[in-house]
Amino acid sequence: MPIISADLTHAGGMPTAAELEAKLLAGQIFLAETPNHLMQVVDVLESYGEVLDAYSTNLIYQAEKQFLNPVPAFRYLDGDLSPGKIWRHLIHDRINFEYAEYCQKAMFWHGTGGLDAYLDSEAFRANCVAIIGRKTSRDPLLALLHPLFPNFLLELIRSAATTHALGQFWRVMSDLFLDLARAEKDGRVSTVAAVVDFLRQGLVAAAANPISYAVELAGDRFWVLPPEAGLTFLADVAVPYVEAVFLRGMPFLGTVSFNAQAQQISPDQSTFTYGALFADPLPSMGAGIPPSLLMQDMYRHLPERLHQWYRQTTRGEGDVRVKICLSFQKSMFCVTNAAIAGTFPYRLDHPEAAAQAANRAYAASWAARLSSSRTDCLDPSTL
Amino acid sequence: MLSYLLLIPFLGAFLLLFWPGQPVPGRMRLVAIVILALQLAWSLRVLWAFDSSDGGMQFQESFGWVNSIGLDYKLGIDGLSLPLVLINAALALVSIVCTRDISQRPRIYFALLLLISGAVNGVFLSENLLLFFFFYELELVPLWLLISIWGGTGRAYAATKFLIFTAVSGVLILGAFLGLALFTGTVDFSITPVLSERLAMGQQILLLVALLIGFGIKIPLVPFHTWLPDAHTQASTPVSVLLAGVLLKLGTYGLLRFCLGMFPEAWGLMAPWLAGWAAVSVLYGSLAAIAQRDMKRMVAYSSVGHMGYILLAAAAATPLSLLGAVFQMISHGLISALLFLLVGVVYRKTGTRDLEVLRGLLNPERGLPFTGTLMILGVMASAGLPGMAGFISEFLVFRGSLEAFPLATLLCMVGSGLTAVYFLLLVNRAFFGRMAITPPSNPVADARLDIRLAPVAPRETIPAMALAIAVVAIGLLPSWLGRISESATTTMAELPALLASLQNGGLS
Repeated sequence: MPIISADLTHAGGMPTAAELEAKLLAGQIFLAETPNHLMQVVDVLESYGEVLDAYSTNLIYQAEKQFLNPVPAFRYLDGDLSPGKIWRHLIHDRINFEYAEYCQKAMFWHGTGGLDAYLDSEAFRANCVAIIGRKTSRDPLLALLHPLFPNFLLELIRSAATTHALGQFWRVMSDLFLDLARAEKDGRVSTVAAVVDFLRQGLVAAAANPISYAVELAGDRFWVLPPEAGLTFLADVAVPYVEAVFLRGMPFLGTVSFNAQAQQISPDQSTFTYGALFADPLPSMGAGIPPSLLMQDMYRHLPERLHQWYRQTTRGEGDVRVKICLSFQKSMFCVTNAAIAGTFPYRLDHPEAAAQAANRAYAASWAARLSSSRTDCLDPSTL
Repeated sequence: MLSYLLLIPFLGAFLLLFWPGQPVPGRMRLVAIVILALQLAWSLRVLWAFDSSDGGMQFQESFGWVNSIGLDYKLGIDGLSLPLVLINAALALVSIVCTRDISQRPRIYFALLLLISGAVNGVFLSENLLLFFFFYELELVPLWLLISIWGGTGRAYAATKFLIFTAVSGVLILGAFLGLALFTGTVDFSITPVLSERLAMGQQILLLVALLIGFGIKIPLVPFHTWLPDAHTQASTPVSVLLAGVLLKLGTYGLLRFCLGMFPEAWGLMAPWLAGWAAVSVLYGSLAAIAQRDMKRMVAYSSVGHMGYILLAAAAATPLSLLGAVFQMISHGLISALLFLLVGVVYRKTGTRDLEVLRGLLNPERGLPFTGTLMILGVMASAGLPGMAGFISEFLVFRGSLEAFPLATLLCMVGSGLTAVYFLLLVNRAFFGRMAITPPSNPVADARLDIRLAPVAPRETIPAMALAIAVVAIGLLPSWLGRISESATTTMAELPALLASLQNGGLS
């Protein structure tokens, strides 16, 4: 057998947890600083921003207008039931809103952070009782279902609350990513480090934004997530989202069989590593939220500059989704970088030893988790 | 009409050898393609003019060549040889079309391929034993050169082994033909079954055994098969396509035409042993294929197994089984050529055929998805799935042989099941899972490897697509091939009864 040419396989490297921790504590970025990386990150985030805009609009529409609809057949149409829209939906000339739902389900299932805690609170239950009372008085199907399955509508409302919260979160992120693209075009952002800083500032600025959600039933307004619950953008939605979608993910989708009884998946949900930062860019139909759906959506909105570069590298259009996934992972490491930088317990140059130790512990916990993720994409040689 | 099937490739070979100017590979290839397209067109013209209701030889041409030794230029074609002439024309064209990376001595390379194709036509068309032998030996030297010059790193060993085995095969066949002349006291080397009736049974068996071993080496049957995997492994893809698709059929054609056709009485006596030999060959070939880690060797061993079906069918010698034998020759020719083509594509793109190394090539974006799809179709056809050529041929062989040799047929059916085993191993290892072309070491590191294979251009898949279409077409519409061969195979199956009645008539 001849020796396989080294050109055919490429390993992007795998930084250790210590190296990642050192970078975090030094305020450095994970992604290699190159002009090509800047182009990839900015442009892929621009297309992601366009997609998130559609996801966000749809999720908010679903939570408000399809609320407690047990058969939401037209939920992806945003209320537009024109023949043209239905036809485009049927021939799949549309955004894969299913991806947004997978993300919502991942958040709902992993259930971390303040939002999940509130969904189990007595205050929330009291709101739900009022909502269900109003809804069942006008809907015979729900009036029949509710006594039979008393937790069913409650769970649907919890799900709708997560859907709305995710819609609000993505509204902010979409605007942030589109602003970033404008900033890069204006010349205000010209390095990857500046991108990470731009994202950090955006996240910090939105950190305290309130997350609330109300529905209108028969002319009356009912709070599902009232302002007095004190839910905020960063702690209660953004961090659980990163935990559920970037890191943990779900082991169920795809054709790779993970046998829980054979301990092939961890019994501890918190140690799951099926999220976007761990996803294999090659469509191997492995576990996790299928990023191929998102890649397909971003492909529809690729800026010409990035699309042109994709056409010139490797197989051109032939493997464009793999390249989008690689660029997406590069950009998600930038977002993660920004999120970590914005959530350190103390300033990085804090003089006190206790503060430094707390920062070190915080950086170490992140580095440990990220050390087995797809850090190979951080290398500039990984296209 | 038939002489053109010899003239076109032979004159084409000379044309290439004396082509003026520098032998640019692309131009040489184009000329060879034109010549072989002409040969295919002429073969189709013969098919058009062929009368399928006639079980005997047609379009016969004859003139004395070297009368003193009984070498006559005598050609003819029947329902047994016509499909083989067609597949020779088709696969020779495929092998030239799929030749893409010949940089050294293109003039000689393409001329040798044309020479082989012409010699193979000569073998299938000869109606004289010495003429048959002449063409049978004529294809040997070009093939030896093709392996020993354009082969892989172990080409010298493989080519020499091939030469020695097939030279012994030639000596045995020539010895049998001369023995026939010696025992019967005639220098008429025409193919006639009545000739053997003049011999004692012992002499018949002696000559038949020599022919059986001679053709058994060429087919190849266990234990004379060891040259084949080596030859395939070292041969380039186009040569493997020809070797598996056409050249092995020289042996099976000889088996049917000369062993069964000339010694029907002795054949009947030895048939149970031959059926047993077929079963051993099928099982050994299949089990050996399971153990291979080189894709090409696996396909080569599958040939050893699948050629055994033809011996089983010939041993049973019923009209149905002989028709099955013709089907098996054609379907094996197409399927094995398809598989070798696809293995060639995998090898060209990845640099390896090692099943311990290749994984996930069906990957839609970075892998070889269309090649993988055709490979799955090819292995399904080889395993005898309905709707494809392999099913028709295996069904006819088994159905035709079951009553005559139930045990041997059942064992051969097990071999057919084993085909599914080794080819599923091949597909599962090389085409499914996470894509990789490296030996498995660390699962975390392996799962991070970015594989950058060159894509397979659509034009590269045209030959394989054509073969795949033919495999499915025969599977769905087997009757057109059946119509061509049925009269001839029925005539062959009735030969022992015919001879017996002749003998009885002579006695009474």
